[in-house]
Amino acid sequence: MLQLANVTKRYGNLVAVDGISLEIRRGECFGLLGPNGAGKSTTMSLIAGLRVPDAGSISLDGQSLVAGRADLRLALGLVPQHVALYTELSAEQNLRIFGELYGLRGAELRARIDEALAAVQLTDRRRDLVKTYSGGMARRLNLVAALLHRPKVLLCDEPTVGVDPQSRNAIFEYLERLSREGLTIIYSTHYMEEATRLCSRIGIVDHGKLHALGTLDELLARLPFEEEIRFPADAVTAPFAAALRPHGELTTAENAHRFRPAAAYKLSAFFALAESHGLPGRLFTSQRPTLEAVFLHLTGRSLRE
Amino acid sequence: MRPIFVLLRKDFANFFRNKAAVSLTFIVPFVMIYLFGQIFGVNRKDSGPTGIPLAVVNAGDHPAAAKLVAALKAEKSFRVISEFTNPDGTKRPLAEADLKPAMQAPGAPYRFALVLPADLVGAGSLGLKLRIFSNPRNEIETQTVNGMLQKTIFTNVPQLLGESLQANARRFLGDEKFQAFNGGIAQAVARGFGGDPAAIQRAIESGDFGAAAFGNAAGTGNSNPTADFFARIVKIESVQVVGANVKSPAATGIVGGWAIQFLLFALSASATSLFRERDAGIFQRILAAPVTRSQILWSKFAYGVLLGIFQLMVLFCAGRLLFGIEVEQHVVRLLVVCAFAAAACTSFGMLLAAVSPNAEAASGLATFLIMTMSSLGGAWFPISLMPEFIQQFSKLTLVYWSMEGFSAVLWAGQSFVQLLPILGILGGITTAVMALAIWRFNRSRIFD
Repeated sequence: MLQLANVTKRYGNLVAVDGISLEIRRGECFGLLGPNGAGKSTTMSLIAGLRVPDAGSISLDGQSLVAGRADLRLALGLVPQHVALYTELSAEQNLRIFGELYGLRGAELRARIDEALAAVQLTDRRRDLVKTYSGGMARRLNLVAALLHRPKVLLCDEPTVGVDPQSRNAIFEYLERLSREGLTIIYSTHYMEEATRLCSRIGIVDHGKLHALGTLDELLARLPFEEEIRFPADAVTAPFAAALRPHGELTTAENAHRFRPAAAYKLSAFFALAESHGLPGRLFTSQRPTLEAVFLHLTGRSLRE
Repeated sequence: MRPIFVLLRKDFANFFRNKAAVSLTFIVPFVMIYLFGQIFGVNRKDSGPTGIPLAVVNAGDHPAAAKLVAALKAEKSFRVISEFTNPDGTKRPLAEADLKPAMQAPGAPYRFALVLPADLVGAGSLGLKLRIFSNPRNEIETQTVNGMLQKTIFTNVPQLLGESLQANARRFLGDEKFQAFNGGIAQAVARGFGGDPAAIQRAIESGDFGAAAFGNAAGTGNSNPTADFFARIVKIESVQVVGANVKSPAATGIVGGWAIQFLLFALSASATSLFRERDAGIFQRILAAPVTRSQILWSKFAYGVLLGIFQLMVLFCAGRLLFGIEVEQHVVRLLVVCAFAAAACTSFGMLLAAVSPNAEAASGLATFLIMTMSSLGGAWFPISLMPEFIQQFSKLTLVYWSMEGFSAVLWAGQSFVQLLPILGILGGITTAVMALAIWRFNRSRIFD
């Protein structure tokens, strides 16, 4: 449905997007995962037609988006990273303005506004000024403002930044519903939990490059280990941690070691080594690796760096 | 066109929600126009300053000095202070020695003082002896006070000069010849104009030539016959060639000047709202829709022009209510001039937004340029008060040409054809500045 072919965007000497190629299928929720400054927002703005790529092409159903044709713009809806609303106006006034900019008017526009406000439980507050809304309410309104014209593809550029857990969950549920109804969603985030929960396929980007692309299972399968073992990082475990280093990846963060054993290294050998250092089994927790591990494995740095 | 209309409506909705913007656009200029109207005495018969504290020390007992003090007390420009309050609350006449300490003290009760010495009409020299003490902290005020004092002295007690002349004549001629000289003049006046020669001689010797020569004799009924006498010596005929039928001449300049200045402030604020919309990410959302950058800019321009026309017309209507400016006879031509002035001001605001990196910088630059243009352009005071070389710069400001346009309509009542040169200049300013703004916008990152 949506194709990016070798898309590149530079700002002076900085290559913000470096030859990204990918295809997004109709009805899927596609995640663009990467840390801040990875090139996610630039990629989204290129797709939305806000910027023109220096090289490569972007097409929707075979039609180039770069030309900025009005009918193709109507096929896209953008949820900006900021709460892009007029805070001195009411929710209803905001939706009316953005609906009219997409060519809606009259009874149809009123019906769409009613529907949108109901979908994010803001009907009762429709005439209140946006500046009186909580952060979560404003984010929900920010989301539905991009859906009034019923786009084929929804571009969500980190739409939950600064949102409380409850509102974030409400946004996820709404997006999941839209996805079930067949809307194609491209969702950029630096939270692996969001990508894991929402997205059927995920592209991992860093320094403008697409490092990996696939379903969660496909990405995890790229790891040379199947388990990740955590244990406290302190003076007692320090000699053990040093002894583990040759047998896999060992990282330390937040007073905890995370050990990803090399493929050939057996768990039985791990626990034997622990016992030889006098460490009890209760110190260790084992879990399936996450996208964080994939990112670390692919880029050599943490998503949070 | 539809996106421009939608964005225009949005800007007006935002404007009327913003109480500070509405206040700055309408209420604050209204107050300033009212205040300056009062300062310049628009529509007041007794225009000029009032109640300036003036200490007066009358050190002698000359009857003309008492008359001068009474005249100063009757003058609205002054609040005469002639008494000193002792620490125990009792009062005594003010003495010359009281003046300097009082005027040098913090919170001085007066900054100007007039001393009428005992030898007010000196026998050794021609003229009056007066001493003025001043603290000229404010030069304009000092000049005003000096002017008002001179006016009061020469219009109310000019016989003091006559008396001075008489005293000197008596000294040079001696009593006998002096009496004979005045008696001869009195006889001649009585023969020519009637009256009692003895009464006329007494009036002449008191220095009151007016009463002697014309006042009582001619029976004009004038309360100040001596002033009348001087007025008859120098006859000035005044012919007003422009605006003779305008009821409120000064008000047109005051309303036009302040209106255009606050229009510039309002439109600069509107243009800098581009930064707020950019920072909030709103341009991303708008440009993701079928809307172009040009449409955003032209919607801002259209908004500025419409708001400007609205603001100017509201303020001229306020001028109609406050000062009786005759707006209704010139509505159509005034609307056209307002539209051209608003377009020029809007383009100025757009250029500010285009050349500034952020809203704060634009706001600072706007304040500086608006104040400069307003003072140079004649919005605060007539440009003729400025040095000639600075007056050359006035014509480079859109404030000057906007005010010329208002004046041409409201003061001179010019026709459309006569207005064309001014409209052409305002149109030229708009085109040139807007072209520059668009060129800069295309290179700036305001939409990124």
